[in-house]
Amino acid sequence: MAAKQRKTFDIFARIKRGGELIHIGTVEAENEKLAKVYASFTYDEEDWSEMIVVDRSQFVWVKKPHGLFAQKGERVR
Amino acid sequence: MNEKQPGVHALIELLETIADNKYVLGDRLVEVGVSGPNLEATLASIAMAQGELGHARLLYNWCFDLRGLQGKKAEIYGQTGKAFTEVIGVNNWITLIAALYTTNVAIDIVLQSLLESNHPAVVSRIQKLMREQQDHLIYAKSWAYELRNEQGAIPRRFEQALNRMVSEVYTWLEKVEQKAELQASGYFPAHVKLTARFKEQLKEIAAQSLVQVK
Repeated sequence: MAAKQRKTFDIFARIKRGGELIHIGTVEAENEKLAKVYASFTYDEEDWSEMIVVDRSQFVWVKKPHGLFAQKGERVR
Repeated sequence: MNEKQPGVHALIELLETIADNKYVLGDRLVEVGVSGPNLEATLASIAMAQGELGHARLLYNWCFDLRGLQGKKAEIYGQTGKAFTEVIGVNNWITLIAALYTTNVAIDIVLQSLLESNHPAVVSRIQKLMREQQDHLIYAKSWAYELRNEQGAIPRRFEQALNRMVSEVYTWLEKVEQKAELQASGYFPAHVKLTARFKEQLKEIAAQSLVQVK
């Protein structure tokens, strides 16, 4: 089967209503719908009150750390 | 068996067909799903197998109650022989997705119709099952869509597998639709349209053009 372009989705969840929203992991999926299913089946260790999957390419960075060996003067893209 | 309810026999047969398919699918989701195309798809497949086997057990237990049997529920060692031939024959990822998609879509339509009848003996038994089944449906539909839009020989092989599955499932839905006793006993609404809804659902993955539903 040809390797199709897969995207990384970050998963955030809240254990209790009003509790802290925590980053619990990532999944790689072909599309948003599969990402939701993968997240709910993979991270089922808690009875989460909220769970969100976010396509990593849609993040809007305010501050992004440089890589450890980034070239001097290289700008964050 | 309660002789006062003529539709009970038909309902048991219907529930056992659903349970048998879920039982066999649960087995195939582990057997074939363990070598899925990626880690996430495999993990989800194994998790769904547990769900399908759980649903099968719930339906077998319901049939046990409908037969009026008392005492400890019987252990389940195998299906009752009503599973679809194409589901039994699942042996690779393509046939697994074709079987999972077609069977789950058909089962969802049947259960939805049972729910619409608002029969008190039915509603409480299937509400949770239907809620849990939604993730299985999304998974099956998404993978059916992926295979349909793959490269090389995969779309053609998927089309062939889907055609065989759809043909068998459509015939079953036709038979269920024509069982007057299910409607007369109030398990299905009058003039239930299972086949029409099935054809409508196939449009979701644009499968209508590639499957030959008579």
